[in-house]
Amino acid sequence: MGADAVDSTRGPTGFVPDGRPAISVRGLHKSYGRRDAVRGISFDVAPGEVFGFLGPNGAGKTTTIEILEGYRARTAGDVRVLGADPGQPTRHWRERIGLVLQECELDPNLTVRETVDLFASFYPSPRPVGETIELVGLDGQSDARIGTLSGGQKRRADVALGIVGDPDLLFLDEPTTGFDPAARRGAWAMIDGLRRLGKTIFLTTHYMDEAQHLADRIAILRAGELVAIGSVTEIGAGLRADAVVRFRLPAGVTVDEIASVAASPVDLAGDVVTIRCADPQRVLYRVTTWAEPAGRRLDGLEVLRPTLEDMFLELTTTEPEHV
Amino acid sequence: MSDWRLVLVQARAQLTSVSRNRRAIVLSLVIPVFILVMFNSIWGAGNGTSDLGRAKITAAAYFTGAMIAYALVGTAFVQVALSLITQRESGQLKRYRGTPVPVWTFVMATVLRVAVMVGLVTAILLLIARLAYGVDVSGEALAEIAVYVGLGTATLGSAAIAATTVATDVDTASAALPLVVVLLSFVSSIFVPVDQLPGWLAEVGRIFPIYHVAAGVQTALGIAGDTSLRTGDVAVLVVWALASVLVAARHFRWEPHAQAA
Repeated sequence: MGADAVDSTRGPTGFVPDGRPAISVRGLHKSYGRRDAVRGISFDVAPGEVFGFLGPNGAGKTTTIEILEGYRARTAGDVRVLGADPGQPTRHWRERIGLVLQECELDPNLTVRETVDLFASFYPSPRPVGETIELVGLDGQSDARIGTLSGGQKRRADVALGIVGDPDLLFLDEPTTGFDPAARRGAWAMIDGLRRLGKTIFLTTHYMDEAQHLADRIAILRAGELVAIGSVTEIGAGLRADAVVRFRLPAGVTVDEIASVAASPVDLAGDVVTIRCADPQRVLYRVTTWAEPAGRRLDGLEVLRPTLEDMFLELTTTEPEHV
Repeated sequence: MSDWRLVLVQARAQLTSVSRNRRAIVLSLVIPVFILVMFNSIWGAGNGTSDLGRAKITAAAYFTGAMIAYALVGTAFVQVALSLITQRESGQLKRYRGTPVPVWTFVMATVLRVAVMVGLVTAILLLIARLAYGVDVSGEALAEIAVYVGLGTATLGSAAIAATTVATDVDTASAALPLVVVLLSFVSSIFVPVDQLPGWLAEVGRIFPIYHVAAGVQTALGIAGDTSLRTGDVAVLVVWALASVLVAARHFRWEPHAQAA
């Protein structure tokens, strides 16, 4: 029973039976008074997909996720979540959705087990409570009151409440904020486990390594508009997203000299030379063939590929190009 | 699974939580019992009586009725308002709303929790009054007290929900609510017998529900056998209840103020 229960409307793997997207957003628009928080965004999330939704503070992430979660009314656009309009949340729809909200406290006077038990009773076929607590790594704190838990432990209790109803679609709004590195790795393993169960996961995060590690595809929101959507590789391919060649400035050499050798823009910070380039092989060749015959040492020489964080910064800090 | 089971599950969780909440226990039980004992120790020794208009009752019966009303205010009003504001501002109500649990089961569970607490506190106060201060509690008096306490709980509970729509944060509410209660208790003849208050102050007190709960219980304790309810007291309580429900229905919010975008 529980996790394996199947009925006519609900598959065991979280797939909507007719293969429609788990989330479908078309021209979503939301204004607060005269301020436009979301300006006509469109995207789909496939069943079973882990979808990363990124953007700087104030870009409209929370507004969008709260519309999808059924908390907020939209101004315009068409939105389907598990085939239904989240603007008219029904009980049956809520039974298939798991939430981990961004800021949420729980009753500090109840224990972890009492709280998870309570929430489990709200759903028709919940996961086993003990197993859920184990999955989020709180089995040692089952009988501890929520009020005595650390910040990271409380967050894990939130996650337990989000998944105890065995949802098809899980919203994780900054699930690892406040976690120490070990706890984050633990949370990632847990989310990977949920992915293997076939759950669709809509994830927001401020940590680019988290999105890179967990998300099948990401969307980047900036000032209420989507500026990129796709896999990390796809997004990287569409950007300048320069690689970086870096080494210590050899004695008796000026930055200008290196710039002319490399034929690329060069920055100097302290004694570290940073060369941004689209073609690091060519720059390396030019620099090393210049340095080697003259016996110059390029200490600390390294080539850095652009990370998702670099792409994110490029996409969200440069001026948007209006087409 | 019947939704009534959801009511019981939630009520049990709320009662578990309240039983571990020192603020709630002090507010609902410790303070009223303490004041009852103090008042009786100070004024109960002589065979003083209070004039309620229809009957003279003993000081012990007077203070018992007063403290039942006072405990009701602590339990059904202050504690309900503070717990709802705390749950709202910490995002618990919003989280609740994101679950499939029907709203009415949450409301019923809260009603059930408050009813259990009020019943318990009232029983304890009556027991102390009976055993320690010889207050006569007949079966007829009990039935009448149940009516006033039940109606008072409904009125004060609705007023509590209405009060949450005014308060925007827990700190302000936990400062303001006890202040309001102490003020109203004085004008409502909770701490000072009604025949010793200046006339105009007693008149002010009659506007508010606390006075009428106390007067109802005191009459029940004082005039054993006269089961006719005082329609004036009942009418004031019903008006307050209806007004509170209207305010609550129009302005109640689930989301914390800090998050309002």
